[in-house]
Amino acid sequence: MKIYRSHLLICGGTGCHASGSLIVKKALVEELDKRGLAEEIKIVETGCNGFCAQGPIMVVYPEGIVYMQIKADDVPELVEEHLVKGRPLARLFYMEPTTEEKIPTMQEIPFFAHQELRVLRNRGLIDPENIEEYIARDGYAGLAKALTELSADDIVKEVLASGLRGRGGAGFPTGLKWQFAARSMGDVKYVLCNADEGDPGAFMDRSVLEADPHAVIEGMVIAAKAIGSTQGYIYCRAEYPLAIHRMNIALSQARDLGLIGSNILETGLNFDIEIYQGAGAFVCGEETALMTSIEGKRGMPRPRPPFPAVSGLWGKPSILNNVETLANIGQIILRGGDWYASVGTERSKGTKVFALTGDVNNVGLVEVPMGTTLGTIVYDIGGGIPGGKRFKAAQLGGPSGGMIPVQHLNAPIDYEKVAELGAIMGSGGMIVLNEDKCAVDMARFFMDFCQDESCGKCVPCREGTKRMLEILTNICNGKGQEGDIELLENMAIVIKDASLCGLGQTAPNPVLSTIRYFRSEYEAHIRDKRCTAVVCSALFKSPCQHTCPVGMDVPAYVALIRAGRLEDAYKIMMRTNPFPSVCGRVCDHKCQSKCRRGMLDEPVAIKFLKRFISDNAPRPKIDPVPVTRKEKIGVVGAGPAGLTAAKDLAMRGYKVNVFEELPTPGGMLAWGIPSYRLPREILNREIDDIRQLGVDIRCGVRVGRDIPFDQFLKDYDYIYLAPGAHKSQRMGVDGENLQSVYGGVEFLREFNLNEAAWLQGEKKIGSRVAVVGGGNSAIDAARTAVRLGADVTILYRRLRADMPAAEEEIVAAEHEGIKIEYLVAPTKLIGEGGKVTGITCERMTLGDFDASGRRRPVPVKGSEFTLSVDAVIAAIGQTPDLSFVSEGSGVKVNRWSCFDLDGLSKSKTLRDKVYAGGDAVTGPDTVIGAIQAGHQAAEDIDRAIRTTNGEPLYVAPPSEDIVIPFEIDEETEERPQAAMPELDARERRKSFIEVELGYSREEAFKEACRCLRCDAEI
Amino acid sequence: MSQVSLTIDNKEVSVKPGTTILEAARSVGIDIPTLCHHRALVPVGACRVCVVEVEGQRTLQASCVFPVTAGMNVQTESPRVVQARKFILDMLFSERNHFCPFCETSGDCELQNLGYRYGLDHWVYQTYTKAFPVDASRQYFLMDHNRCVLCGRCIRACSEIAANHTLGLRQRGAKSMINADTNTPFGGSTCISCGTCLQVCPTGAIFDSRSSFMGREAQSEVVKSTCSQCSVGCGIELITRGGNLLRVRGDWEGEVNKGAICKHGRFEPLNEGRNRLLNPMIRRKGKLQPVSWSEALQAVAKRLEATEAKAVGVLTSSNATNEALFLLEKLFCKELKVNNVGLLNEAAPKLAGQRRGMLNDLVQSDLILVVGADPAKDQPVSSFFVKRAVDKGARLIVVDSEQNGLVPFAFMNVEMKNIQKAVEIAERAENPFVLYGAGMTEDAAKVLNKLQKKAAFAAIEPGVNTRAAVAFGFNNGFKPASSKTLYVLMGEADGSGEKALQSIDKKGFVVVQASYASPLTERADVVLPTAIWSERTGSLTNTEGRVLKANRAVDPEGDAKPDWEILSLLAGKLGKSLPTSFDDLSARASNELKRKEI
Repeated sequence: MKIYRSHLLICGGTGCHASGSLIVKKALVEELDKRGLAEEIKIVETGCNGFCAQGPIMVVYPEGIVYMQIKADDVPELVEEHLVKGRPLARLFYMEPTTEEKIPTMQEIPFFAHQELRVLRNRGLIDPENIEEYIARDGYAGLAKALTELSADDIVKEVLASGLRGRGGAGFPTGLKWQFAARSMGDVKYVLCNADEGDPGAFMDRSVLEADPHAVIEGMVIAAKAIGSTQGYIYCRAEYPLAIHRMNIALSQARDLGLIGSNILETGLNFDIEIYQGAGAFVCGEETALMTSIEGKRGMPRPRPPFPAVSGLWGKPSILNNVETLANIGQIILRGGDWYASVGTERSKGTKVFALTGDVNNVGLVEVPMGTTLGTIVYDIGGGIPGGKRFKAAQLGGPSGGMIPVQHLNAPIDYEKVAELGAIMGSGGMIVLNEDKCAVDMARFFMDFCQDESCGKCVPCREGTKRMLEILTNICNGKGQEGDIELLENMAIVIKDASLCGLGQTAPNPVLSTIRYFRSEYEAHIRDKRCTAVVCSALFKSPCQHTCPVGMDVPAYVALIRAGRLEDAYKIMMRTNPFPSVCGRVCDHKCQSKCRRGMLDEPVAIKFLKRFISDNAPRPKIDPVPVTRKEKIGVVGAGPAGLTAAKDLAMRGYKVNVFEELPTPGGMLAWGIPSYRLPREILNREIDDIRQLGVDIRCGVRVGRDIPFDQFLKDYDYIYLAPGAHKSQRMGVDGENLQSVYGGVEFLREFNLNEAAWLQGEKKIGSRVAVVGGGNSAIDAARTAVRLGADVTILYRRLRADMPAAEEEIVAAEHEGIKIEYLVAPTKLIGEGGKVTGITCERMTLGDFDASGRRRPVPVKGSEFTLSVDAVIAAIGQTPDLSFVSEGSGVKVNRWSCFDLDGLSKSKTLRDKVYAGGDAVTGPDTVIGAIQAGHQAAEDIDRAIRTTNGEPLYVAPPSEDIVIPFEIDEETEERPQAAMPELDARERRKSFIEVELGYSREEAFKEACRCLRCDAEI
Repeated sequence: MSQVSLTIDNKEVSVKPGTTILEAARSVGIDIPTLCHHRALVPVGACRVCVVEVEGQRTLQASCVFPVTAGMNVQTESPRVVQARKFILDMLFSERNHFCPFCETSGDCELQNLGYRYGLDHWVYQTYTKAFPVDASRQYFLMDHNRCVLCGRCIRACSEIAANHTLGLRQRGAKSMINADTNTPFGGSTCISCGTCLQVCPTGAIFDSRSSFMGREAQSEVVKSTCSQCSVGCGIELITRGGNLLRVRGDWEGEVNKGAICKHGRFEPLNEGRNRLLNPMIRRKGKLQPVSWSEALQAVAKRLEATEAKAVGVLTSSNATNEALFLLEKLFCKELKVNNVGLLNEAAPKLAGQRRGMLNDLVQSDLILVVGADPAKDQPVSSFFVKRAVDKGARLIVVDSEQNGLVPFAFMNVEMKNIQKAVEIAERAENPFVLYGAGMTEDAAKVLNKLQKKAAFAAIEPGVNTRAAVAFGFNNGFKPASSKTLYVLMGEADGSGEKALQSIDKKGFVVVQASYASPLTERADVVLPTAIWSERTGSLTNTEGRVLKANRAVDPEGDAKPDWEILSLLAGKLGKSLPTSFDDLSARASNELKRKEI
């Protein structure tokens, strides 16, 4: 044997072929030739390496250094550096997406490190077209043992002992299947290999056939001895040309060595294998349909019984096993069933190969022990979700499987657990879905696949799937009706119960599973015509508008900026949002997260453009609206929810009185958000507009104290309660009652109430401040404290990616010199003389997943440390203070200290004529959420009044006709968002002047031009 | 054989092992509804209408395919079953156009009956949106895809019964469509228009063009009979309404055919284009004039009495009934001593000493020789048996011209002179079968003798009742020139008398007993109008020698009378005492045929 100093193992799977491995290989051959290294260094084309998303992949041995995403142009440098000068080329190493660390060897890459390779043990290691390499890795040793040392019965016993279950999906014990066939009478029996991998997104079997074809042959020969068969077939879809090519080579090599054919290893066993190419019908993965297809007929399933073990191919006893099942057999025989059963769970033994695809960083083939948690597969091996998006669910089992949602990330994946969660193992296709995938649309997609692939033989599958698809399509198109969900569920039950084969019996799974976990999405589609993931395009004009809780017509005002018509743009904004200047500054801009421009480069800066309009457009003049209706409305709380409702109701002619406990209106906008983010005069301008309409805002009046609640109920015909959530949650640690320990909102409110005193140093926060929490309040408190001269540290118990605060706020805080300690949680506060002096914390590590899909922080024992502080601000969440509501009023408060609403109503409390909204219903939410609640309440109150009076419903007066120009660039160039000009960080630390300066006209125009005008119908 | 006991709907049932749940249920009067199931077809469990709840099974099971096991507990109408069945029916009704009032089969439709049975009174799901084409490219029957429920019965009938494999499915899932030869219009396909698909269609998707809208099953009468179109002797059912024959279908109980019939039996006789003879006629002043039966028969009798026996000739076609042939032989040969008698068509040569095979045995054969016969054209139902055997793996060798209709199914086709090659192959077969016809040469027959020990032989006679005609001695080398008086029992035969006509003396007296006008009746001096197949009762002897009964379904048209009755009346006129009652006649004819060991 020739000795080489180095081996280059280049991946030759279909995936890497597609990404150009053959070109790279050619370049390598040329380069090695050119440098005269061909005699020293050997290139081996292997089967699929598994890490398909990173292809072409090459591993250099003996060092074991792995290069990824190699291009032909990289080859000269690679050869020069690594193979000539011995310096590994770090540029082409794998980069871990979360840590951005460059990792040189396979075993250190998390994608590989968490795997346990059995079926894929030879992947990327051997040349699949060379039988000797397989034999060198103990190949055919299992066959030799089975044929020379074991009886047929022993083989079956060994397979039974291994606990191996059918990897095609149904999970039937392989040994049992063999036992049945072995006991079946008949001179002719068949061993069949199912390589008709039909699930979209599944490529396990193809990979095994391409990377390790002999493993399958070995398994089949052993099976042949076990059941007494002389002929085998591999049913492989014609779409797998490389797999078929390599399998043909493998078969002929095995035949040459006498490993298949007659008198194998001179044991008297005769067994040969033929490849049968299928035409790629999904249903031909079903065993009886597969056999019908081999018989040369239309691939349609047959009823069972008789089972194939009794009457299979051509009516003869047959066993059908999946590629992965068979690839396990050689090793089970060689190493024993007990070895195989040593990993896995109680009833699911061994490993399982998954084809990990979809919205996950590391797309590829993954082999893990049964019982590995979904979270491990998706996050540790899969590297998490790209683009900072959130994990929504994993579709397991292909189009007839089901979804496993975020709350089950800790689920150990084995046959039982997967079934319990409403999915199926299937052949191991695992499609990761992020938050941008609509559950209804996914169900529709899979149902479309199944109805298309239904063979048409039995009625429930043929027609049932089509009818279900029609209903799902209707729902996606906004034509869903009340009762559709129940109808789908009933249909699904019958289709599963009455269909002939596995295709029909599992086709409704995605629907049942999405209804089970995402029923609210179905309801939103049917009732509100809303697609929360913004996928079902029939329901909206543009993703941004659909995402906006109040449906602001974003494309319209962006287009008007481009046309220079700012006044019109302002009017468009005012139609849906009474606080555009506020939202232009502090909105959490969900619209931008769904902006389609974001798929190209970055989303359009919708929030900044909104601010640009409100800053630069002439403000429309507001005239009072005369009171035309007799019903009087009382509103509690002058925050965004209360004021929006008041405005809407005033516009409809009602007399509205708003009661505010604090000295000025604005709620959280005024008392929670610091003025460097939202200058008070900007806010007041918009509140004044509402006053101007005729809304009466009375500040300094607390309902329940200054006016008894029951009296208030009598004074007004209809009432809207929007008091917000102004009470901080407590940390629950010792010392929380010490002096200088503040709640986040309490601190901000205190500062705003006595701003002058704080600024003039009459009140002091001290020089070292710890802020606990990771939300916007925590950042607001921290940045306020910085401005008061403190040295601020934020303590957060998880990772930065888990922080609920807006990313730009975190960045701004860092710019202002705020330190953020991650994975830290306070355990107690230490005080001296009643005043806090220190905060003891412990380090956290991340454990399993919580229901939100984030890893749960777990304390690290003995990691306590103490920070010396002058003040602690605990901003870990807020709750409403609803103590003003009298107990007998009938207005119910739930265990989250929020108002309970009546049935399906979105604003009515359990007491008639009393409505509620905003943070006091939802818990702490966004400004735009509160505005939406205000609109909703006004609509509901007005509707209730008119319905009670028997009047026709309110029709808004026709609004001014504003023609929206349609102007768009022919060519879209990649260009990021225009940056927001900001005050210098050093300046910022000294004052409460607004940090963000706003776009210039030119910047705004350029930014507006980035809009792709998804609203346009062409 | 031991019995298996199980419980169906809380009723104890005991059946043979291997019985399906459906069969077991029906054996005790529990009616599980079915749709894709058909008694003559292999069950496939496709439509799922027959699903039942079997204790211990995860899903519902199709009772038509699920075998019983001991102790099994089955519920056939549980709420779960009924829910599934109603769902399936809802699906079927909404699949295509099943607006019954407009359908030909409304009232006779299996789908509609199920709809009534399960109380479907409205559409739950969105109904069909797309109209499908109607294929009217075949002469006798149509395919309306709009009414199709894709049960696949037609496809299975085409494959399993006719073994012609014309029908199939294209596309898949809900887009599936029945089609011929990978989507050829039926009329241009390999379809042989046997109409087996029509006969098994549960809805109005395949329907007969002639009789559509002419009457539902409930309004019509059914008469069982035997087909009189070829020598196979298929059992048929004649459906009539108010004395009109609507249509013909195969009798599933038919001894030979077990339900299958062909184009010749099902459609062609109902679309007869020839002119019927409605009155007895006598030539007067060179023209045929209608007369009474008595007058006509009197004239025949008078002429026969006046002619010496050796100058009388008798010709018969092979579609005469056993009874008529019996009388013909008794009257002319025995009583009148006429010996110049003959058969209008050819007969298959007789092979002596061969083991006789029955047509149904063909299916068990592993090698079939078809010699000098074209059953696909002339006796299609027998060709079904041949093709079924081919489907099961038998090799077919056609010893005939390459135009023979079975050649496309054959493994080999040789000319008659090369029969030796075929015989050599057949000698190596385990269970060869020789199906031969009138086209077999004597030389070929000699070569075939080599197979005497091994093969089963069956003649496939070209004419309907040739076996009986030959047995009664009518295949006797008729010499036309010597007859001065010729009696031709022609029946429904077509043109086969023309050769005789040419050689007969111009002054000769010709009596023709026939159903249709032809050159021969134009030449005749007396015409005796004869009832056709559907109008007469009588017996036929098929090519295997089975005596089969044909029954009258409608009254004879005009003054026509059954063939045997005319002869019986003529015997009366001649003062000969021959049996006159049909039953007597029929029994004696059968007995005599048995005696002749045909």
